[in-house]
Amino acid sequence: MNKKVYLFSTCVCSSAMPQTVINAIELLRLANVDVIYKKNQTCCSQPSYNSGYFEESKKIVLHNVALFEEDESLPIVVPAGSCAGMFSHDILELFKGDKEFERIKRFSERVYDLSQYLHKVCQVNYEDKGAPLTITWHTSCHAFRIQKCVDSQKALLSQFKNVTLAPLQYEEECCGFGGTFSIKEPEISNAIVSAKIDDIKHTGAKYVVAGDSACILNIQGALKRQNSDIQVVHLYDFLLDRIKGANAYV
Amino acid sequence: MSNSAKMPHEQIVKIKLNDKQMRENLRTAMHTLQKNRLNLVENKFNDWQGLRQRAKQAKNNAIQSLGERLVEFEKNATKNGIKVHWADTDVDACNIIYELIKKNNVTKILKGKSMASEEIGLNHFLQEKGVEAIESDLGELIIQLNHEPPVHIVVPAIHKNRYEVAQIFKDKLNAPYEEEIEKLNSIARTHLRDQFEGLKMGLSGVNFAMSKEGAFWLIENEGNGRMCTTAPDIHVALCGIEKVLETFEDAATMVHLLTPSATGQFIPTYNNIISGPRKNGDKDGPKEVHVVLFNHNRTNMLAHEDYHEALRCIRCGSCMNFCPVYDKIGGHAYQTIYPGPIGEVISPNLFGMDQNSDILSFCSLCGRCSEVCPVKIPLASLIRKLRANKVGQGENKAFGSDKLEHSKTEQIAFKLFVKAATSGGIWRFNISSAHTFNFVLKTFSHQLPVIKNWTKYKELPDIKGTLYDKLKNMEGVSYE
Ligand code: SF4
Repeated sequence: MNKKVYLFSTCVCSSAMPQTVINAIELLRLANVDVIYKKNQTCCSQPSYNSGYFEESKKIVLHNVALFEEDESLPIVVPAGSCAGMFSHDILELFKGDKEFERIKRFSERVYDLSQYLHKVCQVNYEDKGAPLTITWHTSCHAFRIQKCVDSQKALLSQFKNVTLAPLQYEEECCGFGGTFSIKEPEISNAIVSAKIDDIKHTGAKYVVAGDSACILNIQGALKRQNSDIQVVHLYDFLLDRIKGANAYV
Repeated sequence: MSNSAKMPHEQIVKIKLNDKQMRENLRTAMHTLQKNRLNLVENKFNDWQGLRQRAKQAKNNAIQSLGERLVEFEKNATKNGIKVHWADTDVDACNIIYELIKKNNVTKILKGKSMASEEIGLNHFLQEKGVEAIESDLGELIIQLNHEPPVHIVVPAIHKNRYEVAQIFKDKLNAPYEEEIEKLNSIARTHLRDQFEGLKMGLSGVNFAMSKEGAFWLIENEGNGRMCTTAPDIHVALCGIEKVLETFEDAATMVHLLTPSATGQFIPTYNNIISGPRKNGDKDGPKEVHVVLFNHNRTNMLAHEDYHEALRCIRCGSCMNFCPVYDKIGGHAYQTIYPGPIGEVISPNLFGMDQNSDILSFCSLCGRCSEVCPVKIPLASLIRKLRANKVGQGENKAFGSDKLEHSKTEQIAFKLFVKAATSGGIWRFNISSAHTFNFVLKTFSHQLPVIKNWTKYKELPDIKGTLYDKLKNMEGVSYE
């Protein structure tokens, strides 16, 4: 029998990269997983949470938690490490001492980043149908330090035999997005992303693969402004492309 | 630092970002410090994480029993012949030191590196009273000559390269222009030797005090600290109350973590453990040792359910070495004596939210500081909590929060955001129109000239298609 999960598609991904959500679902389907998409889902609340609006954030979290309580046996899979980290870890801090804490804790324990779910639960094995290609990889801060799913993301990538990874020298440095940070401190954000871009250019790779749509918008937006043709590709778009041998990235 | 002396936030950011030389110096220096630390932690320590855990525990124990620790320290230090003084405010601490200076007819004191003295504004205070306070730490000397505050809590002149230092020495000390590090050191040494002569009073900070021993520990690399504490007749040590630990072993655990975290050095060049003045029969050492224990709002932090964690800080500077914002704008952009992530937490707590909360936006919440902090202070999460205080939320707010004005437009923006994010219908409508106008950015357009702030440096994404129609028709997906 097929496995079944809830998908939480995140606000940035749903609005700016809808195809990535579809591709994420396709990857789940390839691993024989059925998906429930709750249409009233919204946002993990990071924009307000990280700006200090805790009361507002709680309301947003509770709205979403309620949607995924119908079947508490199902995992909640998220295609962005940052939002997964919010739902699996940060909400525990947000609700510390709150009467809803136990409920929030139960919810948080069901949250996976999609890469973790594919790698650890489904234990997928991918065959690389793509042409040889050198890429570099951007590690997203919250995926790495909060959701701790970068190992799974890299493990998935490493299954593709024709893909060579040229690592960044300062891989563990932030790209300067930081949610509302990038609009409150646009100059500093630009300085940080420019350092990231220098590092990317040093690798010589034409593609940067990354697992968080927010970082992707940030790095891609700045690359474009600097007239670079380097492309930032979402991990799930990249994986599906290689599995199908579609060769969109050459 | 008072508000009147401060530049507007946006202006200082711009100036610092445009300082190419400073940024290049910091970029190189911070990457070197990062690399040294990582190499050392990886190659020389079997259980770095275990050590961090032990240090956190030892500091927590000391902080939780701080009242007891302080009384015990006073008792044992007094037994050792150390004179202990208590100061509640920064000004009290300055006054105590000034009284000692007056009593002993001193006109000039020599200082070892001490961030505590910067915190209480000692140099400025003494200068106004006509007393000269001369810095003996090389980095501190450089910036003192150049009339700048420290840019970093461990390496105060790290934003200057050797050519700039050569110029400062030439201009201020009439020294020949020398670019070699060795020669620069020798210029500083000669200059300082003259200052040491006839010295009556030396001032130092304290790295760790040990209540059971009634003694304190000072680490340094240049030997100047030892000069300040042993050559003069009177040694005054300035010590924030949170520096008092219980045992010698606890302090040793901290020292093990401190230099690797700070500069990637396995051990400091000099360890000075000071347990009292010269005893009968001793050939050298000061005749009097004073410790000034000062509070300066630390007890407020101690009483706070979250901010007390920042009192564990051992001032290693690692959090700023690894901060993606710090190396872009440098320590002076914070316009407070403690910059970087730890500065964002303690400066508003020590000096008041109304003075320093503007720096809370110098953080992308990447979490790297918390990852490297040797005493595991959850810096990013404390910064977020201070942001909540800043917008008027959270119980038991950091002091000075009530004096802040709140942006009504921002509050309204977030109200609208909640309204959208708790209603599936409005949300889907917004997302579906995202391809014509970027939704995530638009949501905040009431709060800030958002689109403009983004498009200044970055393109908006090309959005292709919408989500929901596709979802409805996918096999194996129930859209409900
Ligand atoms: S907060 Fe941690 S990393 Fe930063 S200076 Fe203090 S001890 Fe070091």
